[in-house]
Amino acid sequence: MKKMDPAKAEAYFKYRTTMILIYLTIGFLASYVIVFFARDLSSITVMGIPFHYYMGSQGAVLTFIILLFLNAVMSDKIDKKFGFDPEFVDTNNRTEDH
Amino acid sequence: MDGQFIVSLILIIATFSLYIGIAVFNRARATSDFYVAGRGVPPVFNGMAIGADWMSAASFIGMAGTVMALGYDGLAYIMGWTGGYLLLTFLLAPQLRKYGRYTVPEFIGDRYRSNTARIIAAIATIIISFTYSVGQLSGSGVVIGRLLEVNTTTGTLIGVVLIAFYSAMGGMKGITWTQVAQYLVLIVAYLIPVIFMSLQLTQNPAPWLSYGQIIEELQILDKQLGITEYIVPFTGATKWQFLALMFTLMAGTAGLPHVIVRFYTVATMKAARWSGAWALLFIGLLYLSAPAYAAFSRFILMTEVAGSSLSNLPAWTQPWINTGELSLADSNSDGILQWTEIMISNDIVVMATPEIANLGIFVVGLMAAGAMAAALSTAGGLMIAISAALSHDIYFRSINPNASEKKRLAVGRWSIILATVCAGLLALNPPGAITQIVAWAFALASGSFFPALFLGVWWKRANGPGVVAGMIVGLTVTLSYIFASKYGGFTILGIIDTGAGVFGASAAIITNIIVSLATKPPTQETQDEVTDLRYPEQVQYKNGEVWLKE
Repeated sequence: MKKMDPAKAEAYFKYRTTMILIYLTIGFLASYVIVFFARDLSSITVMGIPFHYYMGSQGAVLTFIILLFLNAVMSDKIDKKFGFDPEFVDTNNRTEDH
Repeated sequence: MDGQFIVSLILIIATFSLYIGIAVFNRARATSDFYVAGRGVPPVFNGMAIGADWMSAASFIGMAGTVMALGYDGLAYIMGWTGGYLLLTFLLAPQLRKYGRYTVPEFIGDRYRSNTARIIAAIATIIISFTYSVGQLSGSGVVIGRLLEVNTTTGTLIGVVLIAFYSAMGGMKGITWTQVAQYLVLIVAYLIPVIFMSLQLTQNPAPWLSYGQIIEELQILDKQLGITEYIVPFTGATKWQFLALMFTLMAGTAGLPHVIVRFYTVATMKAARWSGAWALLFIGLLYLSAPAYAAFSRFILMTEVAGSSLSNLPAWTQPWINTGELSLADSNSDGILQWTEIMISNDIVVMATPEIANLGIFVVGLMAAGAMAAALSTAGGLMIAISAALSHDIYFRSINPNASEKKRLAVGRWSIILATVCAGLLALNPPGAITQIVAWAFALASGSFFPALFLGVWWKRANGPGVVAGMIVGLTVTLSYIFASKYGGFTILGIIDTGAGVFGASAAIITNIIVSLATKPPTQETQDEVTDLRYPEQVQYKNGEVWLKE
């Protein structure tokens, strides 16, 4: 075990939290905000489907999937950038399987 | 006994033998390295297992029918049930993985240093999983009822026996590969009919791209009939109900004990993030297809079934009328069946459409096997959550800490059988459609677990009295709202029973914050544990210092 610079650890936490807030905001826009303005958006169509219906049935779900993969890729990169090994397993602190 | 019955039965038995075979094979192989077996599972397969655990009879049998019946308003289920994975994977799963416990009540009890909190959480797990399994059992009743051409009640009784037996065997516990197989069976079963229908109706094999043109035609048909249009938003309920339901389903997803447990079994926070991403991709395959399924079914019913003469109804109608889930009444006695005279239960749309579209006995049989896979895999997960709460969190940790392994297993088994039978009795006369019953389970989860876990992970000042008060208030508010709205007609902004979670969750969060601030802060050790969850597995936070493990 070696000691880390607390400022670096703090920077890591801030960075990660900011990313998560950005992802959640995008997810929120794709679902709640579009639903809120559903009536106003129905004049636009995507593939023959009115926009509000398209977002509800496909657009929002696709956005969620992309956000989750983006988060998985970016989190690994951030971990490495800060010098952490994302594959690290602490052998002293493992939960046994059921 | 007709050809359809034999084919369906053979497919169900074949898939069942496959699951049991995989379980037996894995059990034999894994005895030597029992503790590492789960870690050998790559996130892709863990994602499939989460998908099978997650996608229940409500997703498989109920959802497309709900979207068909409600039109745009039904899409709250699609967005809510998928969006929950954002909350789960971003805010909870990696942190819970790092904290490392067996069950959700155990995390709550240890993080908040409160036995009372653990017992309340265990009771909440039992209530939520119980409500959820009522939906599963009434789903298996629909499938078995159709298969054996008996009414849905008899079908449910047979389902109860089957599921109690399957879960109590306990062989499925923790065996990821069985669920991977169940995922594959259910997704293939779901996609084949929707692809065939897409080919039949639009000559395009990709339903996701082609159903736009069916939606356009539905809009025209609706206008001709002068009925409420399919795609018009907020026809059956208010906008606030839509938003509240969506929130309830999202927060509930992030707080369902049997799903969270799956994230405990991976090795790292990285694996938790990737498992969440793969899980949503696999779940998305079904959820993206459900609205297409709904549009195709409605189109076929409107163009091919409506307008036919009552004396000459297609052969597929009779078995469904026998189950009591379909009624065709010639209310204006003109001998012709109109669209408005077809009363089709939400819960049979998915099962009936392949027959209506004449896709052949093999596809219809495959649907039955897929639906049973969905109901069984989820019911199995739920029953394990119930038995773990009873035998581990309540019996072992509070009543009899000296209980032997054998005794605890026996308590677990009996609790599974008892819970299945009780849930089955309720499912005989289900208090709502499958998706609706399941939505109540989500409302309860979002009123109890989501606030407790969210504050537990992100706010180190939250303490034992806070979480105890929060969970009690959250559950009380959610339950009272469900009953007041369902049986008393009480609503706020038009939000009905299925959207109750929004009130439960807010009440629980506010209560937890107020009570925590009014009482003593948690010990420094507890606060350090929570701060530690900010960092990856390799980092440890202790006494204000950050250490890097090597």
